[in-house]
Amino acid sequence: MGKYLKHPLGQAGVVLFLAYLLFDFGIAYIPPLFGIASAPIPNSVLLQYLITVSVGILIWVSDNEARWAEFKEPMHRVMVDPDLKTARNSLMVLIPILVALMTFSQVRPTVAAPTTLRSIHPAPPGRIDFQGTTLELGSLQNPLRSRGSMEEHYEEGKRVYYENCIACHGDGLDGQGHYAHAFSPVPVSFQDIGTIAQLTESYVFWRVAKGGPGLPNEGAPWNSAMPAWEDFLTQDEIWSVIIFLYEQAGHEPRTFEEEGGEGEVE
Amino acid sequence: MMAVMTRWWAVAVWFAAASAALASGSLSAQDGDALGQVTYERWCAGCHGLDGTGDGPGAGYMLPRPRDFTQALYQIRTTASGDLPTDDDILAIIDRGMPGTTMPGWEALLSNDEREALVQYLKTFSRFFSADEIPQPLEFSRATRSNADVLAEGERLFREVADCAACHGDGGRGDGESSPALVDDGDFPIPAADLTENWLFNGGGEAEDIYRRLLTGLDGTPMPSLADVITAGVITDEQLWAIAHYVRSLSPDNPPGITEVVRGVLFEDAPLPSSVDDEAWDEIEGAYLPLAGQIIVMPRWFHPRVDGVWVQAAHDGETVAVRVSWSDPNNSPDPEWADWKSQVIALMQPKEGDPPDEGPTPDQLVVQFPMQMPEGMERPFFLRGDNRRPVYIWQWQSDRDGALEGEARGIGTEAFLSGGQDLTVDASHADGQWQVMFTRPLVTEDENDLDFVIGEAIPMALFAWDGDNGESGTRGAVSSWYFLFLEEATPATVFVAPALAMILTAALGFLVVGRAQKRERQSGKIKSETPNS
Repeated sequence: MGKYLKHPLGQAGVVLFLAYLLFDFGIAYIPPLFGIASAPIPNSVLLQYLITVSVGILIWVSDNEARWAEFKEPMHRVMVDPDLKTARNSLMVLIPILVALMTFSQVRPTVAAPTTLRSIHPAPPGRIDFQGTTLELGSLQNPLRSRGSMEEHYEEGKRVYYENCIACHGDGLDGQGHYAHAFSPVPVSFQDIGTIAQLTESYVFWRVAKGGPGLPNEGAPWNSAMPAWEDFLTQDEIWSVIIFLYEQAGHEPRTFEEEGGEGEVE
Repeated sequence: MMAVMTRWWAVAVWFAAASAALASGSLSAQDGDALGQVTYERWCAGCHGLDGTGDGPGAGYMLPRPRDFTQALYQIRTTASGDLPTDDDILAIIDRGMPGTTMPGWEALLSNDEREALVQYLKTFSRFFSADEIPQPLEFSRATRSNADVLAEGERLFREVADCAACHGDGGRGDGESSPALVDDGDFPIPAADLTENWLFNGGGEAEDIYRRLLTGLDGTPMPSLADVITAGVITDEQLWAIAHYVRSLSPDNPPGITEVVRGVLFEDAPLPSSVDDEAWDEIEGAYLPLAGQIIVMPRWFHPRVDGVWVQAAHDGETVAVRVSWSDPNNSPDPEWADWKSQVIALMQPKEGDPPDEGPTPDQLVVQFPMQMPEGMERPFFLRGDNRRPVYIWQWQSDRDGALEGEARGIGTEAFLSGGQDLTVDASHADGQWQVMFTRPLVTEDENDLDFVIGEAIPMALFAWDGDNGESGTRGAVSSWYFLFLEEATPATVFVAPALAMILTAALGFLVVGRAQKRERQSGKIKSETPNS
């Protein structure tokens, strides 16, 4: 065993195998051990990562003449050594068969859903019509933040959330409500730092008010089960539920001031 | 790549936070009370109410209603019926939630300290809990092994001795004769559990879980404990295990995974199934499609009876056959369920616009496709299409013979053809289950409906209504888009590319090895000749 581990070819194999384990299982299962949500990476991404690792390994083994020669030696031996004739012949049969099988798995007719390319946070329109008034999204601020008591807004938002949102987005704001599994795309998790934490309140207002049907085509509006809440809620109810979302999930809304001097927004 | 980096960054932050928490030591009792209250008010009060009576703002949209903690009635316990739960019992419910209800599991969302503090805080809502009397869990026997004899014995006991079928029905789908009249301790209607969906059992779906529920009962619900029946010598503990194994066997071995695609199996030689109970259906794999309440347009419906349907499909190149099966305890409208219906409507009617139709309402099923095969990825809106992209629908209802083809451009705009129908339907209701089979030629003369194409994913969505559960119109269960994929015969050309690839690879192999050996021989010759010269 130790002998093989000292050989550059053995080392390359071990590194590649460990990298595969890390990418295919580690990414999906290690963070959850620490309470952080994760998911398996798609095979195409896995392949890219492994190609990157392979290139790195090749650079490393070819960096030194002696190591390069040592690295190639076993492969060369399989090709020419009379003692390894059985291994050679087996490989000459097995490799073409493997290639044939891989090709077949690519070209055979498959029963698969078409991939839907969907922009998760598509660009918002400049202005929206909300129950008869025109709102400029670029300059739209949450009016409740400068009026009344934040605690009351939070409680009001909680009422709105529990009456309308938990069935899909869940009590834990994790997108795991009891209806969540019935819809594709799945409801957004507000806990995820990729959602409301990187959006402005005006953007969230647009998404809540116009829902799935208000998405532009790149957002695949025909699939979204998000209702257009302008049909159910008043403007203040939407603003209060937005305050609740940020407070409950422990995120801050994104503001334009943070972006370093861009300041004015059209 | 960025996403991966942020995840690892998050792990590092978590490590730092966890070590800091460990360093600060465990919580004192007083901190625990405060933490319990803060956690409760933040995460639990929305449904269970600030005072623990189960009347938070979310409660009116849920049936069963959220637990009233002042009653100290806990369904899932390890203690005897009528006894209080242990701390571990309460913690287990918080951690795992109550599958089949609106109560989620909190294990991943709240810390250990928070969940343990919650247990103590919940107990303060009821005067029944006291520090002097600590509830003792029952001793549970070890699981017996299951086999065909055990299952047959379990079935006999289920139907004839323990009287389970009176509520759960002979097939276990919650359609027993007492089921329409069941109410819980809060006088809310409660369905007898559908024992064919063990992934939705409140206390877990394995035989061990079922055995425990049989022994402890589900306090606060009509489900009694069978402990007395054992004490009285009517059945033995081993027989209780037989019932548990039998109940477990009513559900699939594994909960159904979510499949996006329903495979329409190609019948090349055999004839297509000709009726809804044709044995040919048994050979066709079904896909389970979960459904959820329609909560997108007013009036919404938060209490659908149909939580999922099994779909099977087949075609023979000319005709497509689709069978949809789902649990529904009765064939609506049924006078025995009239009370149930009016109670459910009264309970699930907060702020939901016009009251539902008076009078009898049938069970219904709609299977929906786009009116035309979509170009690219655009599709009609999954909820009955829209103005630009209409949908094509098959509609069946329990109080009418036949099924109708129709179109819709949005919910409420359904229009059905009365003549020139190409669709046939066969439906049956037995043992608490509807099975409805549709057949239609793949291609029809009608230019306005969908021609089913072979070898492409056809968007498909399903909607179901249980009339006697108060469902009609927009009050029902919906799904988003799934796909129906009619298999094509494997064409011979598929084998050309693999064969070519194999020949090329083999040729390349011979070339490389041959050259290597040639070079080796030449260098070998040089080496062997050198000493001689």
